[in-house]
Amino acid sequence: MRFNIRNILFIGLVVFISLAFVKKLSNDVYFEVPKGWPEPHYNFKKNPLTEEGFQLGRRLFYDPILSRDSTISCENCHIQASGYTHIDHELSHGIDGKIGTRNSMTLMNLAWSKSFMWDGGVNHLDVQPIAPITSSVEMDETMDNVVKKLQRSEKYRNLFFKAFGTSEIKGQLVLKALSQFVLKIVSSNSKYDKVMRNEATFTQQEQKGYELYKTNCASCHIEPLFTSEKFENNGLPIDTTLNDIGRMKITNKKEDYLRFKVPTLRNAHFSFPFMHDGRFKTLTEVVKHYNSLGNDKNLPKQLSKPMNLSDNDRVDLVVFLNTLTDMDFLSDKRFKYPIK
Amino acid sequence: MIKKKLIYIVLLLFCCKGTTQNKVDSLYLNFTIHFNQQLLELHKQYITSKKDTIALDTFKCYISSIQIQYDDNSLFSEKESYHLLDLENPNSLQIPITPTNNKIISKVIFNIGVDSIASTSGAMDGDLDATKGMYWAWQSGYVNLKIQGKSSSCKTRKNEFQFHIGGYMKPNYAIRRIELVPKNQNLDLIIDIAEFFFKIELSETNSIMIPSKKAMELADISIKMFKTE
Repeated sequence: MRFNIRNILFIGLVVFISLAFVKKLSNDVYFEVPKGWPEPHYNFKKNPLTEEGFQLGRRLFYDPILSRDSTISCENCHIQASGYTHIDHELSHGIDGKIGTRNSMTLMNLAWSKSFMWDGGVNHLDVQPIAPITSSVEMDETMDNVVKKLQRSEKYRNLFFKAFGTSEIKGQLVLKALSQFVLKIVSSNSKYDKVMRNEATFTQQEQKGYELYKTNCASCHIEPLFTSEKFENNGLPIDTTLNDIGRMKITNKKEDYLRFKVPTLRNAHFSFPFMHDGRFKTLTEVVKHYNSLGNDKNLPKQLSKPMNLSDNDRVDLVVFLNTLTDMDFLSDKRFKYPIK
Repeated sequence: MIKKKLIYIVLLLFCCKGTTQNKVDSLYLNFTIHFNQQLLELHKQYITSKKDTIALDTFKCYISSIQIQYDDNSLFSEKESYHLLDLENPNSLQIPITPTNNKIISKVIFNIGVDSIASTSGAMDGDLDATKGMYWAWQSGYVNLKIQGKSSSCKTRKNEFQFHIGGYMKPNYAIRRIELVPKNQNLDLIIDIAEFFFKIELSETNSIMIPSKKAMELADISIKMFKTE
């Protein structure tokens, strides 16, 4: 056989064409921004969503392999049916039954979040999982060891290859896969959303509650995400068993003393208990707390005037908050435990 | 069949050529880690200027944004320039930067630490990968410099001291820029750990683990560790 230039060119062409398919092992998926919502904060260009990346992230989310003794997965503190929080626990607990110092946050609409955690200490969604993975009371594992364990698993080597075109697992890829999963956790189909899209109408009571919300809550819990992404002191006295100073721990600034992230109100009906330390079990208690405030110089200006809600007003406000429940979201099969 | 084999061989040759060429013709930053005049060994005891006996078990440090200034005033800036120096990994102390040329190097410039851009850009690759154990969890950002060990002067658990110097937000942005005039064209640089401990009373200062004023002071001191041969 002769080894002539035409053969080489032909083979070169074949190699070139096949190279074009190398990156096409995974299927791109598009991130849908609900109508009327702002542009997401997350930079999808740096972590393009694919079906394979999403499914890998889903497996990782539900796999206790991320913890030191394979007992704790992300789901332990982020259960779908409760809006991805730790339902019914004031403070979340992790490995060996150890109890943390805060109520785990809900996971939803995170593509719009600029910072993470109650104190905003985490600056990017990708690096957020490092905190629970390495916390001694949550998963108590190192990123290095997580990668080593995954690398030993043939199943994961294959899944990483499908998602990222390499079976050499890196911390970066583990984190990006987890981001791909949680980014898709979007709640935008509550009764409130349907009303905004003119697909449904509020009852009279809900409408009254909506007006009360707009007057009393909307300056911090801004539509459509129902958070300002800011950190505020909401008038809760410090729990002296925890002495959690909030945002000040991160910034060292006096004005950040007792400031915590304004959480979303979406799906609040199912994400009890409430507040950073889970001190309130019901939305009624939460509303009563805000209704008890006012005329206090230490509070932010949004809370400086008393709300003066009547008993009926309080009920109406809670009825409106229940319209933020998104049952499709709380039971979406795409986000459930992956069956092998 | 023969043709196929030939192609593989040719490809293989190309690969080999590529890597060997890199190794021979590259300009390296060569770091050696000292304690005063001696080469530093982990777990070996040294005495600081404050008369504390110390033994290190970790020395890790990020070097970033490396630039080489030549005497014709041209400047080479390494792209994606983030390198983790780790005393436990001798390879990490030799950093290939650029193909060699005949120009005379007048200055070498780099950062100690990781800049705020890389600290806020999510999950990173290579030496910035979170598996390197240099990423803070509860408060995002990289540990720029990690010096850990034991000293009988520390009345702490197991007599341990930990210096995790970092922070990417003002006023506690702990990155430091360094300019050195090399004594030879081989870019042999020394990191002298004795300089870090020169002013530290270990009985008082033995655990710095958050971005803070104290961390900023130690970041300033860390500049003095870097010397040319």
